[in-house]
Amino acid sequence: MTEINEQLSSLIDNENVESKSLDALIHDKEQQSVFSRYQLIGDVMRNEATLNIDISELVMAEIAKQPSLATVTPIKDTSVDLKTDNNVVSFIKRFGQYAIAASVAGVVVMTSFLTSQPTTENNGVEVLNTIPFGGGTSPVSLQTNQEQTKQAIQERHERLEALLKDHQLQLQIQP
Amino acid sequence: MKRVSLSRAIVASILLLFLPLSIAIEADGNKRSAEKEESSLPSAIEHLNLMQQAYQSQNYEIVYLSSLQKQLEPMQLIHGIVDGQEASYFRYLNGVIRESLKYDGKISYFEQGQPAYTLQSNQHSTVFANFANYDFEKGKQNYDYVILGKGRIAGKASIAIRMISKDDYRYSYVVWCDLKSSLPLRLDTINPSNVIVEQIMVVSLNVSEITNPWLEKLTKNTLPEIVHVPNTSTDSPSQWKANWIPSGFSIAKDDQHRLVLHENELVSYILLDDGIANVSIYISDRKLALDEQQKLIRRGATVFYTEQQGRIEINVVGDIPVATAKRLAQSITLATNTNDQ
Repeated sequence: MTEINEQLSSLIDNENVESKSLDALIHDKEQQSVFSRYQLIGDVMRNEATLNIDISELVMAEIAKQPSLATVTPIKDTSVDLKTDNNVVSFIKRFGQYAIAASVAGVVVMTSFLTSQPTTENNGVEVLNTIPFGGGTSPVSLQTNQEQTKQAIQERHERLEALLKDHQLQLQIQP
Repeated sequence: MKRVSLSRAIVASILLLFLPLSIAIEADGNKRSAEKEESSLPSAIEHLNLMQQAYQSQNYEIVYLSSLQKQLEPMQLIHGIVDGQEASYFRYLNGVIRESLKYDGKISYFEQGQPAYTLQSNQHSTVFANFANYDFEKGKQNYDYVILGKGRIAGKASIAIRMISKDDYRYSYVVWCDLKSSLPLRLDTINPSNVIVEQIMVVSLNVSEITNPWLEKLTKNTLPEIVHVPNTSTDSPSQWKANWIPSGFSIAKDDQHRLVLHENELVSYILLDDGIANVSIYISDRKLALDEQQKLIRRGATVFYTEQQGRIEINVVGDIPVATAKRLAQSITLATNTNDQ
């Protein structure tokens, strides 16, 4: 209990908290009230205490009354997908520094199963656009056929990324 | 008397003979001076060489935008001479902090959320760097240099020089240089169908007499530890060879090494370099049967092409037109065992 309280307090202090424990907090009514009290204490300490009427419970009750929309997917799902295993993180941390150059940071190959438009420039040959090399991240559109499983495509993306990073690394360490 | 008149006549006729010649000489002289005046304006290649010199030796700060596929990326470069050595600092202005500093044969990379590291290298892959190190004289074999005209970029009068590729296996470029400082202001990368695939444009340029004091301070700081890239490569060559290489390119590397990501997969590797563009060729086992339209990925000027031949897979990555990548991939064969290794 005190451990969770500690996490709560660090959350208020803008420290990093694992998303798992955040999930736990969100679903714990008692913790929510603790959270709001802590928040208020923090406000008082920072001389920001204005009268904050706690309407969160009322809002939650209102939301609970609403019929859930089929088109809206809970945010929780994606956050679970993004979470990586501890082993993986340490692996990338160990080797990543060699591979991840400033210029290729953010090579994220996203799996979106969109069809790319054929361009006249390439005589109608369909081109998969956008593998980010430079700045930000952008999605790669990739078509799939029936024989290719989602996992196989994911595997291909990871490989593409590895090759791109190696290409960048080879250029970096050119004498 | 007669003799005198005769000699006079001879002199006169000789004079007459020489007169048009002397006029001609004079005219020739005029023409030459006119030519001289014309050639005092730098030619295209002289502009490029001036640009190169300025890029390497001046103190300046530029902010530029790179634009490809409707995406804009603002970047900043600060360059100066510290203790007689080139120092350059580069960063992305948007998103995650990514910075690098090149000084004294070392490049340090700083990135948010990653440990900083230093590499021993002279390759600072900032935008105009490839052009700033290119041997334009040698490049005459592959490019024609033409002055396109004058324009105004970043509020400065500039001159546009087109580097036209002599074949369809490389990109052509248009380089705009500041007429005053000779620094590059804009770079268009043009594919063989005359479409601009990538564009870099300076939006602000500041040239100063003295080195930026902040940059000078930066070079005095202790750098992050030098990282020696783990010896993942083997000494043996790739065992593969490209039977066709576009003119101007040479093989810069030929080895086998493990990828740092992706389960340290072993790949055979060939790197081609022509001074401006680099092409990596990876030969490995085939992983996943791909449809035709899945074999080509393009972003800006960079092309990623996969060719599958039976059980092997050839991946070509580099700043080259699609046709070059395809032809390169198809030209890869197993090297014959002439040098029994």
